[in-house]
Amino acid sequence: MASAPSDTRISTDHIPVKLIIAGPFGVGKTTMVDALSEIKPLNTEEVLTQAGTLVDDLTGVNEKTTTTTAIDFGRLTLPGVVLYLFGAPGQARFQVLWQELARGALGVLVLADTRRIDDSFAVLDLVESTGVRYAVAVNNFPDSPEYPLEAVRQALDLHPHTPLVVCDARDPVSARASLIALVEHIRELMLT
Amino acid sequence: MTSGRQRRRVVPDYMAAAKLTVPEHISVERTTIVVVAPEAVTDGLDPPGSHLIALLREGPLSVYECAAYLGLPYCVVRLLVAGLAETGTLLTRAPLRADAPDLEILELVLSGLRAL
Repeated sequence: MASAPSDTRISTDHIPVKLIIAGPFGVGKTTMVDALSEIKPLNTEEVLTQAGTLVDDLTGVNEKTTTTTAIDFGRLTLPGVVLYLFGAPGQARFQVLWQELARGALGVLVLADTRRIDDSFAVLDLVESTGVRYAVAVNNFPDSPEYPLEAVRQALDLHPHTPLVVCDARDPVSARASLIALVEHIRELMLT
Repeated sequence: MTSGRQRRRVVPDYMAAAKLTVPEHISVERTTIVVVAPEAVTDGLDPPGSHLIALLREGPLSVYECAAYLGLPYCVVRLLVAGLAETGTLLTRAPLRADAPDLEILELVLSGLRAL
């Protein structure tokens, strides 16, 4: 029988708010969802349709028309609202999944790794194609080179108003600060 | 990372999906919050349905959490919830419509995050 700890239940009075944490493979999405979530992060299977099969090597498995990926999922309850955090892969082949996932999302926090800055381009393209508001957080690894943020902004070709912060995805305080930067940005866009 | 695929399934996908009909308009989403209706008749449900009800007896959960705890793909649980919501067995709370985010909700998120 499937069960879940009863202390993981939320109140229906809370307004669900969806936030996405995106980034290339190995950038720290799972780590950040873990740092922010009040429940043990969950992992749910998503079915990808044709879009994924074009890229996945299906030689010899012609009958296979779908492939799956997993999304990290965490939750953070605040007074009046409950944040649902989705750690989503950012490869271009997840376009269809993204269009669906991004629907109704408040915003996207894009994680970047300065050791592999090129990997972020596909993610940014994907996020921009959904039209959801986003901010970028550089996840600092111990061996990350120290570039001035302005250089990172240029390398990523970000709009001058797009927030760009440095974070440590393992640290809940730092992860929350990145989310605050994102939500402040969304509020500013709404007020202007 | 624990993979959903490696967990033993409560109900195999084909079985969970077999008796699902697809409603015309599905408003159920990943973050839709689901709760058992107070006067719901839950006898005689198929295994996936009764597992879902048993899971929700302890309190509300989002559709995505239900999928993770049941070990079923999201798309299957989404249809399951939509079907049971249509018959009045489950009540759902729709997520925030973020194409028109409410300033009040943004302030709640901000003050909540800052207070942690």
